Amino acid sequence: MLAQVNDSGPFPAIMIKVSHLTKRFGSVTAVDDLSFEIAAGEIVGFLGPNGAGKTTTMRILSCFLPATGGSIEIDGLDVFKQSVEVRRRIGYLPENCPLYPEMRVVEYLRYRAELKGLSGSRRRRRVYDVLSRCGLEDERRRLIGHLSKGYRQRVGLADSLLSEPAVLILDEPGIGLDPGQRLEICRLIHGLAEDHTVLLSTHLLADVERICGRALIINDGRIVASDTPDNLVKKLKGHPRVTLEVHGPRHDVEAAFRRHSRVAQVHWRSVDDGWHLFEVECDDGDDVRPDLFREVVAGGWQLREMRCEVIGLEDAFIAVTTEGLQE
Amino acid sequence: MKGLLTVWRRELSAHFLSPVAYVTMVVYLLVAGWTFVWAVEKNQEIGDPITVSLFVALFLWLPITITVITMGLFAEEKRSGTIETLMTAPVTEWQVVLGKYAGAMTFLLVTMAPSVGYLYIFRTFSGGVPFIDTGALAAGYTILLLVSAFCVSTGLLMSLLTRHQVVAAIACFCAICLPFILRVLSRAVPRNAGAVLEYMATELHILEFARGVVDTRPMVLYLSGTIFMLFLAVRVLESRRWT
Repeated sequence: MLAQVNDSGPFPAIMIKVSHLTKRFGSVTAVDDLSFEIAAGEIVGFLGPNGAGKTTTMRILSCFLPATGGSIEIDGLDVFKQSVEVRRRIGYLPENCPLYPEMRVVEYLRYRAELKGLSGSRRRRRVYDVLSRCGLEDERRRLIGHLSKGYRQRVGLADSLLSEPAVLILDEPGIGLDPGQRLEICRLIHGLAEDHTVLLSTHLLADVERICGRALIINDGRIVASDTPDNLVKKLKGHPRVTLEVHGPRHDVEAAFRRHSRVAQVHWRSVDDGWHLFEVECDDGDDVRPDLFREVVAGGWQLREMRCEVIGLEDAFIAVTTEGLQE
Repeated sequence: MKGLLTVWRRELSAHFLSPVAYVTMVVYLLVAGWTFVWAVEKNQEIGDPITVSLFVALFLWLPITITVITMGLFAEEKRSGTIETLMTAPVTEWQVVLGKYAGAMTFLLVTMAPSVGYLYIFRTFSGGVPFIDTGALAAGYTILLLVSAFCVSTGLLMSLLTRHQVVAAIACFCAICLPFILRVLSRAVPRNAGAVLEYMATELHILEFARGVVDTRPMVLYLSGTIFMLFLAVRVLESRRWT
């Protein structure tokens, strides 16, 4: 079914469509006129400070909570009117990954599979499949209450994958895990993109940079930024700055760099015999690195390093959640 | 229907995998059995049928047993957050409520079932019981079943209203005890209201049925009460999604 959706052309189908979603708890507005769309096959990172409305939005998406206003369509179905149908298409991992501690891993997954309407050989196959996919084969007979946090998280993830849902909604899948486990979970989620649309919330920006095609940043219940992690960073960075280490006559190199229209400033300092470090500040626009490289080659100089200064998503995140993204 | 069976099976395993369940079962049977023997001794002068002693003993410990069984049904799921995974699975509120209800009822029936043998054990060892009135025994178990069905549904509803097990336990116990004290209450209120309360008093129903007098009115009362409580429970569970 999903392959069909993905093959439907250059513009993949919209899988999640949220329009003007509002949620109020008494006088507190948790989600305020939120609108976004997620296409089939996308992995979208949902970011925001604590209390920004991430969990609330995800609970509404997964049909656990009602919205105060607005509408949500998942795979073309209305979340409020066709709740059970929507729930069949969703795999949801709630925050903190609640499980029944007295059950064994495989018992729990069998129970969940049955609850999701799988039966007979298909259920057996799916349980086996998610166990191996989440690296739980060796733990299948263990009591969930005795598992470490990392394994429990995997059980939760395995549960959300059971019914091969079109949409995965994962609320902080990486929380409480050590860096190694987080990396594994990230790899796992990354591998899911082929046949799932994934919306995951997290505080760990490194994870978003690693696996998400797009980041959605919300603050106070509103979207403050939505773009690829790279673009978010780019928008925020101001003027790009390229750093090069070149072996050659300093003045000639500087003059060659300055000839370019987009180069605004060139700073330099010498590093060691004959090598100089140039910092080239450029105006916005295309990447100037290829041009600079050509200049170095044309001058017959040597180049041992060239990089664009990168500000992390972390900085971008802090900037947009504190003052909003100025465009 | 399938979702209901799934929830029911999971409830059964949750009940039977917990040590609390076995303690509840053993304690109930021991205490009720002991109360039965004590009641028979006390009853010798009054001359009530022996079935009355049996059912008084079985009913006396019913509220606390049902409280232990039902207090965690939803409160525990709410506390641990598993209610979120449960209610985001493609199951309806009816299936969840009925599945849990059926699980608790099954466990309660298994707990009470051995008490059927009490009279026979008593006869074997005392020799003072010439015959056992199986009709009265059947009538007594009918009302026991009906009252239990009603009390479990009440406990389930109470458990749904809170996330704290202790609060749920107290609320369950008070709600379940209410029909049992209606007879005492009926004496404290004006005559007409008192008559209504007396009509609904569980204590009188038990005594009647335990003598072998079957009356359909209390049966309808408990059945409709059960359905009403379950209906309320479904609505409460749904209310989470009301805007």
